Amino acid sequence: MLSRIADSLFWLARYMERAEGLLRVSSTHYSLSLDKDVNGELTWQPVLETFTSATASEIEEIAHHTGPALMKLLTEANNNNSLKAIIGRARENARGIQDYITKEVWEEVNSFYHLINQPLLDRRLLTYEAADVLQEFTRRSVLYTGITDITMARGTGWAFMNLGKYIERCLETIVLTNKQYALNYYKVNEIKDIMQWRHLLMSLSGYELHLKTYRSSLYNHDVLHQVLFNEDFPHSVVYSLGRIDRHLQDVTRKSFSEENAALQRNFGRLFSKVKHTDLEVLNDNTLQPFLEELRQDLLRFTHLLSQKFFSYA
Amino acid sequence: MDLPTLLQQYGHADGIWDEMYDHQQIREQYSKVYSALQQFDAGSLLQKDRLASELFMNQGITFTVYSDDAGIERIFPFDIIPRIITGREWAHIELGIQQRLKALNLFLKDIYNEQQILKDGIVPASLIASCPHYTREVFGIKVPHDIYVHISGIDLIRGQDGLFYVLEDNLRTPSGVSYMLENREVTKRIFPELLASNHVRRVSNYPLLLHEILLQMGPAQISDPRVVLLTPGIYNSAYYEHTFLARQMGITLVEGRDLVVNNHKVYMKTTEGMEQVHVIYRRIDDEFLDPLVFRPDSALGIPGLMSAYRMGNVAIVNAVGNGVADDKAVYAYVPAMIRYYLNEEPILPNVPTYELSNREAREYVFDNYEQMVIKRTNQSGGYGMVMGNKVSPEEWAKAKTAIEAEPRSFIAQPIIKLSTVPCFIDGTFQARHVDLRPYALCGPDGVKIVPGGLTRVALRKDSLIVNSSQGGGSKDTWIID
Repeated sequence: MLSRIADSLFWLARYMERAEGLLRVSSTHYSLSLDKDVNGELTWQPVLETFTSATASEIEEIAHHTGPALMKLLTEANNNNSLKAIIGRARENARGIQDYITKEVWEEVNSFYHLINQPLLDRRLLTYEAADVLQEFTRRSVLYTGITDITMARGTGWAFMNLGKYIERCLETIVLTNKQYALNYYKVNEIKDIMQWRHLLMSLSGYELHLKTYRSSLYNHDVLHQVLFNEDFPHSVVYSLGRIDRHLQDVTRKSFSEENAALQRNFGRLFSKVKHTDLEVLNDNTLQPFLEELRQDLLRFTHLLSQKFFSYA
Repeated sequence: MDLPTLLQQYGHADGIWDEMYDHQQIREQYSKVYSALQQFDAGSLLQKDRLASELFMNQGITFTVYSDDAGIERIFPFDIIPRIITGREWAHIELGIQQRLKALNLFLKDIYNEQQILKDGIVPASLIASCPHYTREVFGIKVPHDIYVHISGIDLIRGQDGLFYVLEDNLRTPSGVSYMLENREVTKRIFPELLASNHVRRVSNYPLLLHEILLQMGPAQISDPRVVLLTPGIYNSAYYEHTFLARQMGITLVEGRDLVVNNHKVYMKTTEGMEQVHVIYRRIDDEFLDPLVFRPDSALGIPGLMSAYRMGNVAIVNAVGNGVADDKAVYAYVPAMIRYYLNEEPILPNVPTYELSNREAREYVFDNYEQMVIKRTNQSGGYGMVMGNKVSPEEWAKAKTAIEAEPRSFIAQPIIKLSTVPCFIDGTFQARHVDLRPYALCGPDGVKIVPGGLTRVALRKDSLIVNSSQGGGSKDTWIID
C-alpha cells in the first residue's frame, strides 16, 4: 500500500472519529442544558474549552448561549476544529484516496460534507431545530461507521484506518475524563451524584452500560473504572488500546525490521502501564499525572507510527 | 403548457442540421424517445433533471469555482435528453477513426525516428521544426508495440450537409470519458424504460478494454506488471475522472511524490518498502513529467522518469511527444498522412483549414474574416479562439496584429454551424449545438471504440462553443440500431 494512502486513511478515520466525538458531546450537552432544574450552573464553557481554541473572554461571551455556542462548535469558519472544518479535512483525505476507499464510503463522506455546508444551517442552529440538526449529523456519522465497516476491504488499509480511529478515540476519552475529574478536583473516592457523571458517560455512550454494570454508589470510583479499565466498554482506554495493539500487529507483521520491533516495544510499554495499574493507586494526587502521562505517551507513539509508515513527501 | 405543445414549439433554424427533426418530421431514430417524452409532463421532467444533478453532486463529480475565499462546488451541466446516432452512422465513424489513428501512430513513429514523411516533402519540415510540442528529448526512443496514441478523443462535428467532420485530434491526455460513463449511469436512473426499449449499445466495458491495453504495455517477461495512474492531485479539474478510472480498473492512483526513480527504474513508496512500476497511465502533461528534462519547476513530476523511459524500463501512456500530431496546423496534413502511409482516401473529412503562416491563405482569411474562426495552434479548451462573426472591429484589429506577429501560431477555419439537438432548458425544449467525442483505444490488437462518446452541448443559445470552460454541458450519447 502506498504510504500516502495509508496516511490519508489514518487521518480520514481520525477526523471522522473526532467528528463523532464532537457530535456526541454537543448533543449530550444540548439535551442536558434543557434541564435547568438539575444543572442550574451548566454552561458550554467546558465543551468550548475542550474542543475549540477560543480565548477565555470569547468563551465567557457565548458560554451561556446555546445557539452561538453550537455555531462555534459546529459551523464557525475560523474555528479550526469545528465540525465543518473536521469534515472538510476528512473529505480532503478521502478525496485523495478515492480509488482506494469504496464508492459508498466516499459518497457518504462527500454528502456529509455538502450537508454541513448548507447555507442555512447557522440559522437552524439558533432555533430549537438545533436538536434535529444534531440528530441528523449524529446519524450521518454513525452511518459512515456502518458503511465503512460493511464495505471496506480488510487488510493493511483497514488496519491503518482502525489505528487512526482508536488512537483518536483513546485520546478523546482521556481528555474528556481529565476534564470531568478536574471539575471534581480529581476526588476519586468521594461519592458524587450520578447526575454529575451523566455528562461524561453519555458523551462516551456509556450511561446505560454503567447502570447495568455497577451496583455500588461509589460513582466517582466506578466511572473511573469504566472509562479506563472496562474491557467491554468500547470507549474505554483499555478497549481502544487493545484495538490499537491488534491493528499494529497487522501492519508490522508483514515484514520484520528493527523499526517495526521498536514501534511494538514502544506501544507495549504504554499498554502495560494501563493494563497493570491498580485502580486503587489512582487518587486525587495521582490521577491527573497518570492521565497526562498516558496522553503524552500515546502522542509520542503516534509520532513514531507516522514516521515509520507515512513518510513519502 | 403540456408537453406535446412544448415539443411542437421546438424550433430549429433553417440551414442547420437538426439531429431530431429533418425538415418535415421526427427522424426515425428519435421516434421512440419522442413519443415517450410526450407521456411525461414538464413537472416530472424537472424532477428527473433535479435527480440527475443530485446524483452528480453526491458522487462528487464536481469542479470547484473559487470566489470570496470559499470554494463553491458546481456540477458539469448535464442535459437529460439523450443524443441519438444510428448504427449505420456509427459504423462509418468507427472506420474513419480507426483509419485516422493508424495513420497518426505511423506518423509519430516516423517523425521521432526516420522522418521519411519530411524527406518526401509531404509535411513541410519547417512546420515540425516550429511546433512547440515536437519533443526532441524523445527522438529515437522505442515504445512498446510502436503505439504512441493509446487513448484518443477525436472531436467530430456534423455540418449542414449531415456529414461528420473531424474538428481536432486529441492525442495527449484527452479527458471526459468518465462523463460518458457516468452520463449513462444517470440515464439508467432517470429513463430506465427508454434505455431498455431502444436497445442502446453498451459503453460500460471501456475501463476493461483500457486496462487490457495497459497490461499489454508491460514488459513481456513479467506476467503481472504493476500499472499505475499518475494524477496531478486533488486540485486538478479532472481529478474525479482519475479516481473513477483507477477504481474501475483496480489500479493504484499515484501522485508524483509517490514515485521515485532509482537506477533507471521507477518505484512507488509503499508501507512495505519500494515496489517497481512497469506501466504509467499518466494524466500529467509532458512538460511536467520530469523536472530534470522538461520544466525544472514542476513539482508534479518524477525526477529521472525520462531516463527510465528511454531505457525501456517503464511504459508511459500516452507516449511522450504526441503533441506534435495534434497541433492544429499539423492537423491540416492528416488527410495527406492517411494517403501517404496507408494509400487510402480519408473516410472522415477534415474541416478546411488555412495555415496563417502561408501568406496567400492569410490574405484570404483577412479578407473574409467574418466567416472564419481563428484558433491558436497550441491551445485547447476553447481558449484563444476568435469567432469572426462576433468579433468587434477593435478586437479584430488586435487579433490581426497578434497573427501578423507570429503567424505559425494561428490557423483559420470557416465557421461551421454544428448540428443541433433538443435540450430540456428552463422547462422547455430548445435546440442547442453539439459536437461528439468518441473515445478510441489503440492496442496491439488494433483500435477499439466503445459505441458512444461524449456529446458536448453549447448550452448558451446560438453559441457554437461546447467547451465546459465556456458554458458547455454534456449529454448521454446513444448508438441504436
